Amino acid sequence: MTALAYAKSQNAFLETSGLLRAGNARLVSLFGSMDDDGTVLIHYLLDVNHCHYQLFSSIASGSVPSLTPIAPAAAWYERELTDQFGIECQGHPDPRPLLFHENWPQNIHPMAADVTQVPWVNGEYRFLEVQGEGVCEVPVGPVHAGIIEPGHFRFSVVGDTVLHLELRHFYTHKGTEKLFQQTPVMNGSMIAESVSGDNCFAHAVAYCQAIENAYGITVPPRAEAIRLVGLELERMVAHIADVGALCGDVGFTVPAAYNSRIRETLFQASARFFETRFWRGIAVPGGVTRDVSEASGRELSRLVASAAEDFARMARIILETPSVQNRFETTGVLSREAAISLGVVGLAARASGMTLDVRKDHPYGWYRQTSFDVPEYGYGDVMARARVRIDETAISARMVCNVLEQLPSGPVCIPLPSSSNPQGLSAVESPRGELLYWVRMSEGKVTRCHIKSPSFQNWPALPQAMPGNIIADFPLINKSFNLSYSGCDR
Amino acid sequence: MIGDVVKRSLQSSRVLVPIEELLGDASGSRMPEVRPELLTEAIAQQVVHACPTSALAMERDKSNTQTRLVLNYGECIGCSRCVQAGDGAFLPAKKFGLCGVHKEALVRRFDIPSGTELVQDQPVLAEAARQILALLGRALNIRQVDAGSCNGCEAEIIALTNPFYDLERFGIHFVASPRHADMLLVTGPVTRNMAHALKQAFDATPSPKLVIAVGACGCSGGIFGGSHAVVGPVDAVIPVDGYVPGCPPTPAMLLTGILRVLQKTVPSTT
Repeated sequence: MTALAYAKSQNAFLETSGLLRAGNARLVSLFGSMDDDGTVLIHYLLDVNHCHYQLFSSIASGSVPSLTPIAPAAAWYERELTDQFGIECQGHPDPRPLLFHENWPQNIHPMAADVTQVPWVNGEYRFLEVQGEGVCEVPVGPVHAGIIEPGHFRFSVVGDTVLHLELRHFYTHKGTEKLFQQTPVMNGSMIAESVSGDNCFAHAVAYCQAIENAYGITVPPRAEAIRLVGLELERMVAHIADVGALCGDVGFTVPAAYNSRIRETLFQASARFFETRFWRGIAVPGGVTRDVSEASGRELSRLVASAAEDFARMARIILETPSVQNRFETTGVLSREAAISLGVVGLAARASGMTLDVRKDHPYGWYRQTSFDVPEYGYGDVMARARVRIDETAISARMVCNVLEQLPSGPVCIPLPSSSNPQGLSAVESPRGELLYWVRMSEGKVTRCHIKSPSFQNWPALPQAMPGNIIADFPLINKSFNLSYSGCDR
Repeated sequence: MIGDVVKRSLQSSRVLVPIEELLGDASGSRMPEVRPELLTEAIAQQVVHACPTSALAMERDKSNTQTRLVLNYGECIGCSRCVQAGDGAFLPAKKFGLCGVHKEALVRRFDIPSGTELVQDQPVLAEAARQILALLGRALNIRQVDAGSCNGCEAEIIALTNPFYDLERFGIHFVASPRHADMLLVTGPVTRNMAHALKQAFDATPSPKLVIAVGACGCSGGIFGGSHAVVGPVDAVIPVDGYVPGCPPTPAMLLTGILRVLQKTVPSTT
């Protein structure tokens, strides 16, 4: 990691809010941790001047002032902090529980207590009510019509037009951060792989890099290069599938089927050369578990290039199709201002005119040796997000092919040293955006692992893109963000 | 424009995989296979130690004299550590057919001294499958329910509809509501927050109905088994007719499982 600074301070809140008010920092994450003696710490993680992560920590006894009025991006983080640790955020505009639903007793906070037997209760959850003549509510989910994850959407509409959308998520909350605790560091990557299955390699790499950061080691160049291949392949697979699914949502099913076929060829290529379709089990702290022979690398490179060419040709046809333009353009606009205030990351940010990419801002691994472009569009609509995906797919394919052609030689894995710093931090640019792991450990076991997932950050932006659109466009707008429910809910 | 798309699609080569190649195919599944003749007490200890879940365990027989190695595919997340630690006694499976089977059939037992597998009787599958076949012939409507999965299983279930696997060729398709379904395909460890919705989806499905639990999490709770936010595997909430292990199961495994629960002819492998 470059320029990672830790600052212990008496009042982390004042320093954080000062930097955020001055406008030269972005809130990356906000989370709690508990020391062995039961002291709860609150951590504010900022990206200062787009070039270094800075962590501010201080002791939180009972309650802390809420950061949300200054930085709306903090809203969900603070609700999560309250649910997990029982820390009250004073002045929070929406202090309802977030992770736990009506069945969970409000006075039980799993990160700060033993939770072997939690009673079932019948609580109440109040949705925001939009009042006025002709306003109807449309509840959708958690079980949806497609093969997707569970979540609840509550629309307030007049006729077809959406006035307000409220999200209710965390149906797939699995207590993952607590599961990490007491896990041997070498096994943590397996849990990381199951945080968001379609981005499993990005999660595994982010976890491994955080561990390596704590041990103060750099993995061998060949391992870094193979990780880059996996990360960019994952991005290609995600983007190709998403562009196909966007076409499916406007009734243009042929490209949808065609792209699903390109995606499958990439899965099969991974299965052929790495024995895993999703690159599970490849990244481990210290490197990667599989090497790739020169012949296999050449063949994989050929397959990737041909898939990218296929996709590019199809993408051109998609973008030139009037019915696609009609449905994609000006639909689901996320303004730059809203994106900034909610701390939106990843391709959604780049489609709303923000220059933001972990690979450029905080280079890691083999990206330090690689040059590549980051596409950016300013319109913030479905079309902009589709275009970012199309451009990125081509760029990723070129990166994969270039790296495979000049794989550095040497080992692909090194053992971890015997001693480490107590904490490590690492970020990667997953297909959905900035994904960050912060780990604390002791005696070879993880004692706390916080996951900043791009989906957790970006979900609150979806309701900002909805008002004024018709409800029938919701699947399209939702798909254009394509956020992970499990990655958000953890 | 649309004409170009259709033309391009029609020009591309045929990719449909024949059913014979799919049934029992294990490529990309990461499931381990055992060579019982190479098993020793030491190797068994090593692999049990290497296994991050409890998919591998030692067991004593009833008379408490013989030690056996137990391999429960329902808990296996395919990390391949047993292959690395197994000194050749474990290797990646070339064929894997334990999909859509009863829960007990996912568990294999190996007698270490004799180096043999202890074969057990296969329990009889669901009566509902017979009824659905009699009523509907080849047609089957599936409603997929995510009860808390990481979305890895969903990614593979979606792949079932791509031109390589083309589930529709068997008369099977995914429907939008449990009310239209003959079968629920349930993924994930059932989370506390999804338990009620899963029960409601099951109740909304008309009888006769079938349920398949998908993935290590669906079969056993997987790595999320002990979490405070998880209720347990799918069968902790609703009755299950067939289990498809894997993390995630490949499209070939899912297809094998769905067809086996329907009591179609599936060659027994592994």
